[in-house]
Amino acid sequence: MGIHSICNALSHLQNASRAKLGLTSIPNTKYNLRLALALHRAGFISSVTRAGLTPPPPEALLTFEPEPVTTANVSTRRLWLGLKYFNNKPVMSKLEPVSKPKRLVTADYQQLSKIARGFQAGHVKGLNLGETLFLSTDKGVLEVREALEKRVGGLVLARIS
Amino acid sequence: MSVAARPAARRLASSVGILSSTSTTTQTTTASSQIPLCRPFSSTPTASGRRKPRFRNITARDLGLISQTSRKADTAVSEEQIDDFTTKKFPKYTDAEKAELMRMYTPEQIAALEAGEASINPKDLTIQGRLRTDIYRLPYIDDFAEHQPIIDKRPPASRSRRISPPDPNARFMNTDQFVSDLIEWADKFRVGEPTGTLKRLEDFVPEEWRKVKEAQWPGEVRDEAHSKFKKYLQEEINKAAKHQENGGVVTGGPTDADVLSYILERSVMTDNNIQTQSSLALALPDKVPGVAGLYKAAVDPADEGLDETGVYQDLKRRSGMSVQEILKLKTKTLVMNHVSNQTRMGKIGSMVVYTVAGNGDGWVGLGYAKSQEPSVANQKARLDAISKMRPIRRYEDRTVYGNVEAKVSGTVVKLFARPPGFGLRVQHRIFEICRAAGIYDLSARVPRSRNPMNTVKATIEALHNQKDPEEIAMGRGRKLVDARKVYYGGATQ
Repeated sequence: MGIHSICNALSHLQNASRAKLGLTSIPNTKYNLRLALALHRAGFISSVTRAGLTPPPPEALLTFEPEPVTTANVSTRRLWLGLKYFNNKPVMSKLEPVSKPKRLVTADYQQLSKIARGFQAGHVKGLNLGETLFLSTDKGVLEVREALEKRVGGLVLARIS
Repeated sequence: MSVAARPAARRLASSVGILSSTSTTTQTTTASSQIPLCRPFSSTPTASGRRKPRFRNITARDLGLISQTSRKADTAVSEEQIDDFTTKKFPKYTDAEKAELMRMYTPEQIAALEAGEASINPKDLTIQGRLRTDIYRLPYIDDFAEHQPIIDKRPPASRSRRISPPDPNARFMNTDQFVSDLIEWADKFRVGEPTGTLKRLEDFVPEEWRKVKEAQWPGEVRDEAHSKFKKYLQEEINKAAKHQENGGVVTGGPTDADVLSYILERSVMTDNNIQTQSSLALALPDKVPGVAGLYKAAVDPADEGLDETGVYQDLKRRSGMSVQEILKLKTKTLVMNHVSNQTRMGKIGSMVVYTVAGNGDGWVGLGYAKSQEPSVANQKARLDAISKMRPIRRYEDRTVYGNVEAKVSGTVVKLFARPPGFGLRVQHRIFEICRAAGIYDLSARVPRSRNPMNTVKATIEALHNQKDPEEIAMGRGRKLVDARKVYYGGATQ
């Protein structure tokens, strides 16, 4: 499974938050969906909605009934993400891919526990105040603290703050 | 699609969200139907030709997630906002207010008030009316109801009784006129004679000679008058001396202030000492209306003699600190540079000074000043630094929150939080800033340019722009815990 779609999504989300967008979309892939849900769990985005090429009505985001994905409409499906802002500043301001298609970076449990405490381990620098790491593990895409709780390591996807 | 054929209409429509820009056929039609009005000088495509996002986004502003005026680039304010502000800030008089006005003013005045209200559109006040709020604003809001002699032009003569046009017949006094003017002035202070005035030589000659000048008096008349006058003066002097011996106090008599006012204010022309509206500057009256009482002695007793020259008075007023507090602050000159301006007179050199000021307990500011005199530049930079002091965030009152980074020009300053007892392992300028700010554990790197001025500026910027853990937590809706504090049972020290 290639990682390029994740890198593209991260770049797009960083551009979108700098442009102060409220609702933006990324391609509908399983990998993107898992990352989006992990971001949602971590509180970086407010909503994840699968819809067509036009944005779903913002006022009905919470009650939006997505139409089922069929072979006829699968090519037009996109994931619509609601970005968050606090005090007129984006909540998610810096999204930096760690693994890139040219070089995948992994970290095991021991390394992750060091990284989460702010120390460098392997190729990954320690986390700073407000920073977090997203990993692709056997148990899905997880935030670093979720991975530590589940005692798993994996592919380091992104550093987000 | 009828608007598809008209590019301008389509652009307008898409900007207000009527059309979606998903149809690629429409886009190609639009691009090909563009006829450039003039040859572009830049290779950058025009705004209409730029690529639009394939999937339309909704901005945070439209969703109401950020405030309307948060983007600096976009200063346009909507009409609704202007109207809202106008109705809120400049409302019409309510009935209760009108009743109160009716009580205070005559019907004619009310009519004038209403006419005045009607003549000004509140929207103009919103757009044009500004009250200055900066620290250098004037200390009053002038509605021009009063005449302020220092600021305003002198009012026309008709409005002031004291100032009239100069007397065209006035001439400089000759010796006799001067003497009689002086006597007239001095007579105001005469004591002794019940009438308040001394007898004169003329009073001692027979009636028929009084109208005639002294030079025309016959010899015996003149001698007799002189001897009588001399005797009279001697008696007066003796009387005054006896009065003083008996414990009588000599009252009256010109005081120093009277003499000064005679010298400064008494006219030297035969114009009956009337002030005139002339091209010559008038002497200031003893009390200038509107200014009397405003000029106080520079020395404030609260300063306890610490500010004899009044250097800190302005800063005291603006910062609200006392001179004692100001003098307790830590200040340090960090950068001193000589610069010169090439003019036709040659090079004019100045000193540029950057000074840091802090209270050693979380407040720090950077001041900047330039002057031809190094001491003046130092002084100004110091005062500027004190006035620019702002609080910074300190973790456990000893170091910074996380790792902070700031960039000014080519200089990047990285500050790293360090454990207690680590000390300040930083370069000397950053060390002084930390000392002023009250930071005790820190390490720093300046990996790129080490320009002193930019280093100092970037350090201050980094200290002031630290992340707020509370804000991060509230933004994400997650709980953020300082693990160190939890481990040690939440102790802060």
